[in-house]
Amino acid sequence: MRGLQLSLDKGQKLRFERAFEVLESLSSKSNSDASVIVADDISVNNEDAILKGHGTAEMNDRLVATLCGVVERVNKLVYVRPLRARYKPEIGDIIIGRVIEVAPKRWKLEINFSQDAVLMLSSMNLPDGIQRRRTAVDELNMRSIFEENDVICAEVRGFQHDGCLHLQARSQKYGKLKRGQLLTIPPYLVKRRKQHFHHLDQYGIDLILGCNGFVWVGEHVEVRDDMIEDLSDKSEQQKVKSWNTMGDEEVQEEYTPPDTRQNICRSANAIRVLSTLGFTITVEIITEIVELSKSMDLDVHEMLGAEFYVIVAEKEAERRSLPTKRR
Amino acid sequence: MEQRFANSWRMTVNEKKFIETALLSDLRTDGRGPFDYRNLTIQFGSEDGSSEVQLGQTRVMGFVTSQLVQPYRDRPNEGTLAIFTEFSPMADPSFEVGRPGESAVELGRIVDRGLRESKAIDTESLCVIAGKWVWSVRIDLHILDNGGNLIDAANIAALAALLTFRRPECTLGGEDGQEVIMHPPEVREPLPLIVHHLPIAVTFAFIGNQSIVIIDPSHLEEAVMGGKLTATLNTNGDVCAIQKAGGEGVLQSVVMQCLRIASVKAADITGKIKKAVELYKTSRDLKKIKRHPDSVNISNKLKDMEKPKLKLEKTSGSQSDDMEVESHSSKKDEHKCKAVIGGTSSWDPYSKVADADELKESLASQDVETPDQKMDVTPHEKQQLNVIDESLRDADPSPSLSVAAEAGEVKNKAESLSDAVKPKHKRKKKNLSNSDGS
Amino acid sequence: MGLKCLAQHYLKSTGPSFILTKKNKPLRRRTASLSKMEFVNPEGLRLDGRRPMEMRQLRAEIGVVSKADGSAVFEMGNTKVIAAVYGPREVQNRSQQSNDEALVRCEYSMANFSTGDRMRKPKGDRRSTEISMVIRQTMEACILTHLMPRSQIDIFVQVLQADGGTRSACINAATLALADAGIPMTDIVTSCSAGFLNGTPLLDLNYVEDSAGGPDVTVGILPKLDKVTLLQMDSKLQMETFETVMQLATEGCKAVASYIREVLLENTKQLESRRGV
Repeated sequence: MRGLQLSLDKGQKLRFERAFEVLESLSSKSNSDASVIVADDISVNNEDAILKGHGTAEMNDRLVATLCGVVERVNKLVYVRPLRARYKPEIGDIIIGRVIEVAPKRWKLEINFSQDAVLMLSSMNLPDGIQRRRTAVDELNMRSIFEENDVICAEVRGFQHDGCLHLQARSQKYGKLKRGQLLTIPPYLVKRRKQHFHHLDQYGIDLILGCNGFVWVGEHVEVRDDMIEDLSDKSEQQKVKSWNTMGDEEVQEEYTPPDTRQNICRSANAIRVLSTLGFTITVEIITEIVELSKSMDLDVHEMLGAEFYVIVAEKEAERRSLPTKRR
Repeated sequence: MEQRFANSWRMTVNEKKFIETALLSDLRTDGRGPFDYRNLTIQFGSEDGSSEVQLGQTRVMGFVTSQLVQPYRDRPNEGTLAIFTEFSPMADPSFEVGRPGESAVELGRIVDRGLRESKAIDTESLCVIAGKWVWSVRIDLHILDNGGNLIDAANIAALAALLTFRRPECTLGGEDGQEVIMHPPEVREPLPLIVHHLPIAVTFAFIGNQSIVIIDPSHLEEAVMGGKLTATLNTNGDVCAIQKAGGEGVLQSVVMQCLRIASVKAADITGKIKKAVELYKTSRDLKKIKRHPDSVNISNKLKDMEKPKLKLEKTSGSQSDDMEVESHSSKKDEHKCKAVIGGTSSWDPYSKVADADELKESLASQDVETPDQKMDVTPHEKQQLNVIDESLRDADPSPSLSVAAEAGEVKNKAESLSDAVKPKHKRKKKNLSNSDGS
Repeated sequence: MGLKCLAQHYLKSTGPSFILTKKNKPLRRRTASLSKMEFVNPEGLRLDGRRPMEMRQLRAEIGVVSKADGSAVFEMGNTKVIAAVYGPREVQNRSQQSNDEALVRCEYSMANFSTGDRMRKPKGDRRSTEISMVIRQTMEACILTHLMPRSQIDIFVQVLQADGGTRSACINAATLALADAGIPMTDIVTSCSAGFLNGTPLLDLNYVEDSAGGPDVTVGILPKLDKVTLLQMDSKLQMETFETVMQLATEGCKAVASYIREVLLENTKQLESRRGV
């Protein structure tokens, strides 16, 4: 199994297999033969007016898949939803990226797409929140906003004429991410939802599930704080009036309590376990796993042990079989 | 990994379209049919084992050299064969200086596979002392101009060079019988390589997805093609190597069809190579007769006289070259072989291969006239004629000849005839004394 | 365990033949010994106990390199190859960027421990340069590069154990890795080799058979279209014989294809079932 190097004993192995069998039987009930691989025929039942979507091609008057994945049909549109693939951006997606280059008037971000994304200086709110033209001074101060290797959160704005992917960050909730860790998981495990920013109050952490498979787990930052923080950043370079309390605040902000750190690591490990097992990742499941580990009184590092993997797999199988029973 | 796109020339869209659509009606940009080979010319250089092949605009030079080396441990009584390719940036802007690129490596490997794996060259006969000394044959392939289909041209150049190459004979001697004695070519005739068969590479290009197949793609067609297949065959109907390195897929039946066409073309090309090699060999044998001390005298005289005739200076130039090499060699006896090869250096690599007619002519003239100095000069003249068209028109060889004859007359007439009878190496000494004397 | 035993058995069987090829250096004698050497015994079995038309055991595993976008291990008998695909990703060398298609790169290498004689081979020797190019062009032919403009796809293949047919194994592994990386392709490419020894066409040569000096035909096909994309041959073979050998290798490719499809489908189903709804 991908990335899973566990030394399972016999009993664990058995339980593991059983859990996966349950999962398989569950999924085979819902969609029996929708899985296709490269060059498989897609049956279209001689419908004339079908729309060929992504992952399909016509070959000798037949519709053929060009990817491994699941055939999806929406009215007349037939497409193949790939499983393991790089991120495919859609407008409005919330993504997390890493700055790799500060270029004139733009930042280049690595976002697990086939090319680097571009975040224009003009398509992000200035830290002072004022709407105005960006000046040469702003351009010179770009590094004070984001530097190389900063992790930032943004939204997909769309493709430009030249095929570049442009991002925007026109809200206080976007911007630089600090004091936490970045996890990389296969993008197909993240579902597009209404909410990608999550504040787990009980642990005091923020969780951002980027659509591109980058997940941020960090200390909770109030959006208002965010503004202050940005302002404080700003104040060093731009002559915005300085806050008297700024110095104290900064010290305070740099400090993350050990408990919070533990929680960050615990959540991160929960995500690691889930992504290794190939389970969909949502806030509910993550909190469930975190609670599970807590209730079992496991140390953070023990979460990556073989036993916990087995338990998570069993739990998942149990969880998924529940709703079907209700039906 | 590779610098594929650096500097490479890219084709415009309409050129591409044109080539593709024209091919749909079996027409190629240079007017050939899909299965027509371009014009093939094979020339030989002044030394044994050098050739220049021109295939359409493609020009490839092949050199074969040999050297005594230690054999590989796992094959102590086999000579070695190595192929080196040189893609000069002069030939194509996409070729880069320095390490051989992918295409250079592929070309070398295809030629190498065709020659070596099919055992075209008898490597066993290259063994001198098993485990100690074997001949290592090195083929250098230089691309001079890239007009497309380098592989075929390079393969032909390699074959032509191998066929004309001769290595000095050597025997074992000394007290323990383990010493290698090299015999200079003038003592013992150098030995040609044993070539069992000629593996001829024929390249096909596949263009477009309608599976259009063309033979011998030109530079333009190579830029359009989706894939190519190189089949190396000999006239016995053996397939010696095939290379289709990915690219557009083709049906098996098409592959077999290509092979059949290739075998016809291979027979054709084999014939051409053999003919060219035959011609070269006859002319080489002829030159052996021509070797003469007079040339030295003539040229010296000419220099003294400083006749400003263009034609004369040309010939004298080449002859004085001969003289220098010869006198140099006579100082070092062990290097005599070089001298003899060098003696033929007036054989211009850029001249056309001598026609059969021409040869006959020269032979005839020798038969009839037989003054040795004339014999000496005529072949040179012939080549010069091939190169310089103007001189061909206005300069009849006879006037210059007569001058040459006059110049050398006094001294030579008596000596030369007697010299002709003497064995070669003695003649050499005479030659030296002559040049000293003059 | 099973593999180990097999390897030992293999070593035993290679022992004598190794010496044979090393002892009989002169070509003529070698060819003589080649005919004397029995690659197919009277019962119609080969040195490793296979039938002439029998393939070695195939084994494939997807997802062996966690950092890569796609990866696979492919085994044909004792030949073992690992492939990893990165991309489509931003082009590293801007000058190579193409605005209408993806750039495909491939690097083939042989682990120092992959062959019997363990020696450090210079990187980028002629053979590996050629194979890299062959793999690249073969994969390029089936990848829909025009769907991923301004990006590059890197394919890395490494031979872990070499026992003949490394070229074929590399292509099969690369196909699996590309499919795993979710890169759109017109068709999968599968490859297999065949030879001709003792007057018998043999499928899927192992090292001993490969180094016997006989012909070696490596074929790569697009199974869906039934088209040949890769074809390489060494040594000498009559044209008619060549056709049968090529046919045999093509059959081998088809067998590999059905195995690869099975593996891929299973992998896809597993991923989908795990992911849940």
